[in-house]
Formats: sequence, structure tokens, C-alpha cells
Amino acid sequence: MHETEQHDLSDDSDYAAASRHHAPGGIMRTDSGKSTASEAGGSEVLYLKDNVAIHPTQYASERISGRLRLYKQGSSLFLSWIPYKPSTDGAVDSLGHGSSSIPVEKDRSLYTIKSLPVSDVHSIRRHAPALSWPYIIVVLSSGLAYPPFYFYNGGVREFLATLKQHVFIVRSADDSNVFLVNDFQDPLQRTLSSLELPRVVSVANRASRHRSDLSSSSFDDSERLNGASYDATASTSEYSARQKKFHDPARDISIQVLEKFSLVTKFARETTSHLFRESHNDGLNAYEKKQQTDYGSLKPISTSDDKKKDSNVIPVASDPLEFEKLPLVWGKQRMHPLCLEEWAAFLDSEGRILDSKALRERIFYGGVDQNIRKEVWKFLLGYHEYDSTYAEREYLTSVKKSEYEVIKSQWQSISAVQAKRFTKFRERKGLIDKDVVRTDRSVAYYEGDDNPNVTILRDILLTYSFYNFDLGYCQGMSDFLSPILYVMKDEAESFWCFVALMERLGPNFNRDQSGMHSQLFALSKLVELLDGPLHNYFKQADCLNYFFCFRWILIQFKREFEYDQVMHLWEVLWTHYLSEHLHLYMCVAILKGHRKKIMGEQMDFDTLLKFINELSGNIDLDWTIREAEALCICAGENGAACIPPGTPPSLSIEPDMGLYPQEDEVL
Amino acid sequence: MSYAYLFKYIIIGDTGVGKSCLLLQFTDKRFQPVHDLTIGVEFGARMITIDNKPIKLQIWDTAGQESFRSITRSYYRGAAGALLVYDITRRETFNHLASWLEEARQHANSNMTIMLIGNKCDLAHRRAVSTEEGEQFAKEHGLIFMEASAKTAQNVEEAFISTAATIYKKIQDGVFDVSNESYGIKVGYGGTAAPSGGRDGSSAQAGGCCS
Repeated sequence: MHETEQHDLSDDSDYAAASRHHAPGGIMRTDSGKSTASEAGGSEVLYLKDNVAIHPTQYASERISGRLRLYKQGSSLFLSWIPYKPSTDGAVDSLGHGSSSIPVEKDRSLYTIKSLPVSDVHSIRRHAPALSWPYIIVVLSSGLAYPPFYFYNGGVREFLATLKQHVFIVRSADDSNVFLVNDFQDPLQRTLSSLELPRVVSVANRASRHRSDLSSSSFDDSERLNGASYDATASTSEYSARQKKFHDPARDISIQVLEKFSLVTKFARETTSHLFRESHNDGLNAYEKKQQTDYGSLKPISTSDDKKKDSNVIPVASDPLEFEKLPLVWGKQRMHPLCLEEWAAFLDSEGRILDSKALRERIFYGGVDQNIRKEVWKFLLGYHEYDSTYAEREYLTSVKKSEYEVIKSQWQSISAVQAKRFTKFRERKGLIDKDVVRTDRSVAYYEGDDNPNVTILRDILLTYSFYNFDLGYCQGMSDFLSPILYVMKDEAESFWCFVALMERLGPNFNRDQSGMHSQLFALSKLVELLDGPLHNYFKQADCLNYFFCFRWILIQFKREFEYDQVMHLWEVLWTHYLSEHLHLYMCVAILKGHRKKIMGEQMDFDTLLKFINELSGNIDLDWTIREAEALCICAGENGAACIPPGTPPSLSIEPDMGLYPQEDEVL
Repeated sequence: MSYAYLFKYIIIGDTGVGKSCLLLQFTDKRFQPVHDLTIGVEFGARMITIDNKPIKLQIWDTAGQESFRSITRSYYRGAAGALLVYDITRRETFNHLASWLEEARQHANSNMTIMLIGNKCDLAHRRAVSTEEGEQFAKEHGLIFMEASAKTAQNVEEAFISTAATIYKKIQDGVFDVSNESYGIKVGYGGTAAPSGGRDGSSAQAGGCCS
């Protein structure tokens, strides 16, 4: 995050060089050169631990090791975690440019913590698994959490002890492994801290954290508010100036991203303004006319409420992706859904799909006709292989059908007497029973009393909770299953399609919400990349946890659109054509579509949450997909770098050996 | 519509106890048994009158499932009132009250008024929690208590309104500093149209704080 740049420690390159010459295994004390540098920078290192690693993927071999430090600057305490240079891992060539290191290099920068003010930390959870290395999870006051830090050389206790000497820490009454940082026991202080008047807090933050606050202050600044919107290029040029000043290869990725991105923007701007000038001559501007025809239907739905308030909105910082109020990029025109004839043309005589990429591209731009969804979805979901033949699929279907029956019979054979002594089963069944009758009952396929399809929903969910007992059942699953059963119209086939979907989206339902947190984290990074002013707004409004997008992400917009639109959207998402995370770009697109209202009306968390909830049913799906496509292309690799590996719906590599073991669940 | 005050309420309790149905009965005066299960949070609002003053209730209906709690906690902030709901026909929903209360006390304002509601009292033949037990729990924890039925509308109106009356009385008694929105109370501006609850804080902030 750029606001922490001011604490850029001049010793980083020294230390990187030093670590190249040391084996990564041993604990390394600061050498004299380094400590001199630290003192010169006015910071005092209080705790230092080597070989503290994160695991960006579930491959243990892909761990990124680094050095964790607590240091004091002035009266404030900071935490930093700087990963080692690639060469210290011994896996790549001396320049660290080995091809295998590229994705890891991205992670390295993504996870780097230059200087986190400890005052931003809400709590630290300590884990000491019996068969693995101890780790901690740092949770920020915003609600976001960093990935676990594994202490390969131990030292968690010292870490906490050092922290305790400098900040107020208490053990949570609920969980002795959770340490609350800056938790005010004193009820008066607690009340004071709960006031959280945005202005007061942001002023206090600036004072206590010595932040430069490049642009987030613009909203407090009355002169700015009275004047015109500020230009995003101003802040990008400041970044460039800083880049010249500090030549640190391991600097926070967001800066690099912004810089690269500003080039793209600049290029696009020049092109656009060229276009704009050309067309400006013929009266009422051909560009605008083009926009009305080409782009006219693609505006976010503006409610009458919107228009009413437009007159008295506060000027807001302009969208970095707009030039003279016109978007710089947009997605392709949507096509009609893939029809039977086109589908048939993708299949060879034995039923193999020869060009799966072309098929996915086609579906990405138009979706699928209802009458062939039943076939196509099985491929998109990964239940059927693209290169399988008709015969192989027929065989698989019959094998899978009996496999389903076996799992189903497991819970069916639990007698009433047995169930009496099987609380977990009773609770789980009770919850599913309650939820299936509250799922899409207004859709004809599920409506009415004693609808057999509702019973099938129940049976599949209960069977799934035996198929994957650890994940079990969680609310939201029935929302995913309902359209699948509606399309498949077959119990066993629906079950296996649901299983395939949960391979990717199961982590949305982890008890610890880790799958949701990683997506919300990625979303915050994407907004930071694609709309800096909006990011800064959310930050100063204390909305960076993005909880207001929770429902969008949990059930992939199921509650935001009509039933048939949801099916269309899902098949577009399932193509993973441009990105596995198009849904996150959709979130960005919708938020950007309403940025003026959000910032102009200075929505606080509550107002924003309510506003987002009320968008349900008022979002233009085609517009959103096109915008998301444009944003995704625009962000390119920098966008992909915002999304930590393994973020759902990316496949987890070892689904049964997750880093986040399911805690013994209540339901 | 203008109002003298706006109160933020949250409805909490186990999944399936009828939180959304209570809200719908209160805001729309109807019972809809096939309501979709709540993911995250839903909103409702209604105007009521207390002491001849128009008061707007903005009600947050939360998801009951345990695993969503890390998210739903963020909804407690700044609530003036809470309806803690259990189902009189399911003992376990009553047994979980203590943990809900703990959750509310930890994450909400300490002055939040909490109303305990034993819902589904129309199903007396399937009762698993007696009225006395509900009363006892409420008494021990300093809550207001009512049994209600979202289906027949019995006591629904009363539950929401008497909670509001309690909050209103706290305002009159000076328990709250109403200029501080973290108490879940917003002061309206008589006559002025206050679109989403008078949050256009120009005058509130001019009086209330620095800037």
C-alpha cells in the first residue's frame, strides 16, 4: 500500500544482498552495516526473525520465506515482513529471472509488508499444530487478514512477548490463542474508540502514523471539495518521482502496478483524445452519438433516486479510466446464446470437443441456449472432460450414478433410533430441511407444497454433506444447487455437477471464512489498482473490508439477478475465459458504475451496505459483463497479480490437505 | 418522509426462528412462509409514532448461520435496538441465546436496548420452551420479553414499538448523546425531506464535531 512508502527502509537492498550470501536456514543477526542504516533511518529493530514464511499455494515447496521484524520509529511500532530474493531459495538463476520464478516473484511482492503500523492490527491468532510449524494470522482492524506466517525457526512466543512490551495486548476471553491488540478494556476508552468519526480518525491516523496521505486526504480537504475534481495523474506523477528516489526492487507491488497501469492509461488517453478531436468537428460530436448507439444501453441503471440527488452531489475525484466522462475501454458487444447447431459443430464424430478454448470464448460472449445447457454445463463445470467421447461419458454417467446411490444410502440407512444419538446428523439434516423450503420457491420448478424437486434438493445436499463431511452444509449451497438441478433435471447428474462446482467454490463456505476473506482481499487490491480514488474513499470511510460485497461473492450474484440471468452469468463465469475471477472484476465494475453516488454522497459503511443490497434486481447484466471484461483486459497481469494464488474459484491443489483445516463444526 | 428520529435495529437469533418473517409482518403486515433464506443481511423500514413524534425504524435482518458471524458482527455497530429471537418450538434456539447475547454485548453499543422474542407462539401445541423460562432468561439478563407470532401478527407490532419506546425514553432521560450516531440514533429535520435517514450530516456535524 502506497501510504506506507514513507517508511521505506533504506536498508532493504543491503539486507537483500546480505541474505543472498547467507544460507536461508540459520537465524541471522543484523550485521553492523545494516544496523547503522537502521539507526540512520531513525528506526530501532526490536524483534527480528528469519525464515518466517507464507504459503501462497498449498504446495509446501512454494513457500516464500522472509524476515519478520518489529521496529520502532518515533513512538510508533511497525511490523514488516520482507521476503528473501529468489536467489536465496536456490531454485533459480543468480539474477532471479528464471522462468519458474515469475509467478512466485509476483507473490513475493504482493505479500510484502513494508511497514504495517501495529495500531492497524486488531488481533493476532496463534496456532501451534502438533505436526506442523507454528503460525500466526494477523487480522487488521479493517477486518482483512494477512495469510498465515509460518515460523520455521520458531519464535512465536518471543514475538508476542516483544509486542507485549510495547503495545497493549490482551488474550481474548473466547479463545486463548487470540491476542487482541489495542483492545481497550476501559469502557470509557472503548466508547471513545467506537465513535469512529471518519474525520477525527483520519486526522488522528495521519498524526500518529506519519503518513504522507497522497490523495486520501482530498476528501477532508475543503478546498478540494470546493474546487474541481482532482486529477488522478497528479498522484501517478508523484509515484514516478518517488520511484526515482528509491531504487528498491522489492517495493510494494501496488506502486509498480500503478505505474505500469498509468502508462496504459496514458496511451489509451492519447488515442482517445485523438479520436475525440477528430470527431469533435461535426457538430454534436460523432463520438457522443456513437456512444449513444453503441454504448447507450450500457449504462448502469440509474434509479429515479439517482437523478434526484445528482444535482447536489459533492464533486468527486474523477475515474482514472475515464477521459472527458467517456470510458476509455469497454467490452465486446454481447452475442446471442450458443445454439444447438453451433454446439454440434464443436463436436467431432465421437463427441470430443476439439477446440475447447474457442468454445469457452464463444460462451463467454453469449452464454448458452437453455435447451443445450444440460450438456454444456457438464463440461464447463469440469464434470466431463472436453476430450471425452460420447461412449466414455455414457459410461461415466452410469458409474457415477451408482456411486451417488452408495453415498446417499449412507445417510438413508440411519434409523430414527440411531439419529437420536447422532446430534450432528440431526442438526445438519434439520438445517437442510429448513433451507430447501426457502430456496427459489417462486421459480415454477420448485413452487407449491410437497414439491418433489424440493425433496431432491434436500437429498442432494444431505448426500453432499456425507460426500464432503468436513465442509458439510452451509447456507448459500442451496442457492448454487437450485439452478443446477433445474437444468439437469436428474438427481445424480446434479449431484456430480454440484460436487464439481464445490471443488472451486467450496472454500466460500469454510467455517473460518478464509475463502471469502481471500476474495475480499483480492477485490480490495483490484479496486486499488483500477480506481485509486474510490479505494481511497473506502479507506477513509473505513470500508476496506468490502463486507458490503459479501453476498455478491458468496453466491456469485445469485440474489442480484433474475433466475435465467443467473444461469447466463454463471456459464459466462465458468468459462474462465479471460480470468477465473471475472466475478471480482464484476464487483469492481458495479462499484465503479456507482462511484459518483457513493463518493458524492459520502456513504458510510451502513449506507453503503444498504445501497449495495438495494441494487439487487437493478443491475444491467450485459453492461456489467462488458465492463468487467474491459477492466480485466485493462488490468492485465497487474490485475492477476492482485489475486493471491488459490483464491476461489481457482482450484486448490491439494483439496484434502488445506492450510485451513476445518475446525470441528457446530452444524 | 420526515422524522424526528431514526433508530437502527438489528434482528438476531438462530437460523429459521422467523427473523425475516417478523420483519415482513412488521413492515408489510403480511406473512410469507416461503421467504428465501437470508444471506448476509436484508433491510426493512417503517415509520411509527411515539409521543406524537414520527420515528423511522431502519431494521437490519441478519443471517442466522453460525459461520457467517465474522461478517454479521460488522452489522451490530451503531444499532440502538436489537430483537433477539428464538423459536418456542425448538429448544436449541433457546439454548443458544446466551451466546447471541454475548455476541451482541461484545460488538454492539452497551446502551443497546434488547428485546427477547419467543416467536411462533401460534404453535403452542409444539411448544418446547415455556413462557416462564423466556421470562426468567429475560429477567436475568435485563431484557424486555414478549412471545410473538409472525404468522398471526400477535405482539409483532408491540415488540418493535415497545423497543422503540424504551429507546425514546432513554433519549428523554439523557442516556444517549443523540448527536453521536454510534448510538444508532439519527436526528431528523422536521419538514425537510431526509432521503435515507438524514445522513446528510451538514447540520449534525456542524453542531457535533470539529472538521
